[in-house]
Amino acid sequence: MTGIRILVVDDEPDIREVVDVSLGLDREFTIRACASGADALVMAAEWSPTLILLDVMMPLMDGPATLANLRKNPRTAQIPVVFLTARTQTDEIEQYISLGAQGVLSKPFNPMTLAASVRSYLTSPKVH
Amino acid sequence: MTGSTRIKAILLIEDNPGDARLIREMLDEQGSHTTKLTLVDCMRAAEGHLVAHPVDIILLDPGLPDAQGLSAIRRVHAAAPRVPLVVVTGYDDELLAEQALQEGAQDYLVKGQIERRSLLRALRYATERKRLEQLKDEFVSTVSHELRTPLTSITGSLGLLMGNAAGNLPPPMARLLAIAHTNSQRLVRLVNDILDIEKMEAGRVVFNFSRVEVRPLVAQAIEAMRGFAEGYGVRVRLEDARTATDVRADPDRLLQVVTNLLSNAIKFSSANDEVLVAIEKGTDMVRLTVRDHGSGIPVDFKPLVFEKFAQADAGAARQKGGTGLGLSIVKQIVDRLGGEAGFADAPGGGTIFHVQLPCWDHVASLAIDRDAKPDAARLLLCEDDLDTALTLREQLRQVGFATDFGYSAGDAFTRATATKYHGILVDIHLPDGDGVSLIVRLRELPQYRETPIVVVSGDTSRGRDDLRSSKLNVLDWLNKPVDFDRLARLLAKPAAREANRRPRILHVDENDAVARALSAIGDVVTVNSIAEARHALKTSDFDLAVLDVAHAKGASPDLLPELRDSKGNAVPVVVFSADGATLADDPQEQAALARSHTSIDSLVATVSDRLASRKTSASSEVI
Repeated sequence: MTGIRILVVDDEPDIREVVDVSLGLDREFTIRACASGADALVMAAEWSPTLILLDVMMPLMDGPATLANLRKNPRTAQIPVVFLTARTQTDEIEQYISLGAQGVLSKPFNPMTLAASVRSYLTSPKVH
Repeated sequence: MTGSTRIKAILLIEDNPGDARLIREMLDEQGSHTTKLTLVDCMRAAEGHLVAHPVDIILLDPGLPDAQGLSAIRRVHAAAPRVPLVVVTGYDDELLAEQALQEGAQDYLVKGQIERRSLLRALRYATERKRLEQLKDEFVSTVSHELRTPLTSITGSLGLLMGNAAGNLPPPMARLLAIAHTNSQRLVRLVNDILDIEKMEAGRVVFNFSRVEVRPLVAQAIEAMRGFAEGYGVRVRLEDARTATDVRADPDRLLQVVTNLLSNAIKFSSANDEVLVAIEKGTDMVRLTVRDHGSGIPVDFKPLVFEKFAQADAGAARQKGGTGLGLSIVKQIVDRLGGEAGFADAPGGGTIFHVQLPCWDHVASLAIDRDAKPDAARLLLCEDDLDTALTLREQLRQVGFATDFGYSAGDAFTRATATKYHGILVDIHLPDGDGVSLIVRLRELPQYRETPIVVVSGDTSRGRDDLRSSKLNVLDWLNKPVDFDRLARLLAKPAAREANRRPRILHVDENDAVARALSAIGDVVTVNSIAEARHALKTSDFDLAVLDVAHAKGASPDLLPELRDSKGNAVPVVVFSADGATLADDPQEQAALARSHTSIDSLVATVSDRLASRKTSASSEVI
């Protein structure tokens, strides 16, 4: 498989679509989206995305729980995860990073620069 | 709703026995057996009580031997931010009563005018009011988060259209979309500001203090606001500052202060005006001023400038895209930074806003306790919040300690290497790293291997268990607000401390089940290799070592001579064979070894016996 595969996980269909168009501005990205943590686990294992953009507040399985489950499966354990969240207080960012997230992007985001922000997490080493 | 408010535990903080008795009698008359009144006569005791016991309401006389006035009110509020507070003031102290309400008290009573009915009403009313305040805070927080979801879709879609992501737009359509886009962004700012205010008022904003150079930070804010200023046709100029102007602040929050002040000045300037920013250094403070050439602040609006949603000319301000919260946020942040914010009419028209912040040099000079008695035992407190540090220093002085401060992990480490401290208190959350790694580094220094180290944390649980059973030999873990009596006891009596502490066991093995079983009888440090064991022995003392036979066989000749505590006494060793293998029969080891190769239970029993005999022999030596 060539190109950069991004899996978008968000329970809001409108946000999924806006994120899809925003990331689509980068021609090298192939984007797939799903609406729940459970779907994300299945798609991540089947599709092996290069990076997962994960919403934090979702019903049933929230972002941190989804991340924990991704880490448990050897097939998805190594995939970098970036949270896309409305909660961007410093203490919470630290908390997400300590859970093993590659980074945190805040909502609302700038749609014209979102792809570049995601790209920056593909090359930079994990921040501790 | 009010009738259902049940008050079970009342904490009365009052040093006058007569006044205390009066209140107790009034409450007793109520004939309620379910209400429990606890009386304490000083702030230290109050803070200690609040750490350990749930309280439904607090009655405070703010004239205490160890805390007076507003500072007493603030300390109680800090110790129990979620507990309703009623202040009891003198009859001539209406001003304090009003300030008390601003500082988070729900109601006040005036001494000499209290009677049973009004006391009970005040207690119920305060409880209900506090509950409503909390509901409001939660409501604001929820609503703000709920607003962000649709706003994300709206600003995102509009941003894509404006960026021509869906093709080029015909000019009239572009103009209308620009209006929608600008306003959606304004709504985002408003939601952010509301959340900021709410978090700040609820005391949930964490400030990370460090040394901040003001000038580059201001230059950065001006650069970031350039586009905004150009939109208004306004120039922003930073006056040359020649002297170094470092302050102690949270750089992110200070940037927010400067940005808000600039945004305010730009919005109230006319096209082609200049906004002038200056930085001056005083003795203890650095002063930042932002001058605009606008129409000035109307006299009757002056008292409201820093209030929430206050706008002198609401219509005009809304036109300018303001939220009415910017200056209120400035004031709240500056207060928390230990500074002062204000404004004045500028000569020749316009307004000068100023912010004063503590000079780094001044704060740094406070780090050494110069007022303590010369023979006082010296402690090092690693804490980034100056107010907390000063309060603890004051309390520790009363029991005979001198307290120096380290404002960051690096700062504390430097200080610890320059002076030998009797004890070290470490706040686990530090701006330049965590307290745990500081403790690791300190324990590696020979002079601090045995020094009492106490962790002080605002975070109730994180890392606590890790530290307890780690090889760092941390004396205790205290949550903020600090239970001061406990702290004083910990630092004062090394002998008593020694008698009560849990035994420390070094476990050289990879077997989790053994480690779990051993942790029932002591603090266990498990290492997987002889190299790690050697390192653990260098950084901490152990009462006993448990060696798996696989490791013990090959390594015991190397390791045994090193199994000594800091006084050079041999550490008893229990050699354990998890798989029932026959143990080596080396006569040299006999004296130090006890053996078990049956089960984990019998291992634990053997270890227990060994530890018990160690205690007895130690105490008989003392006698």
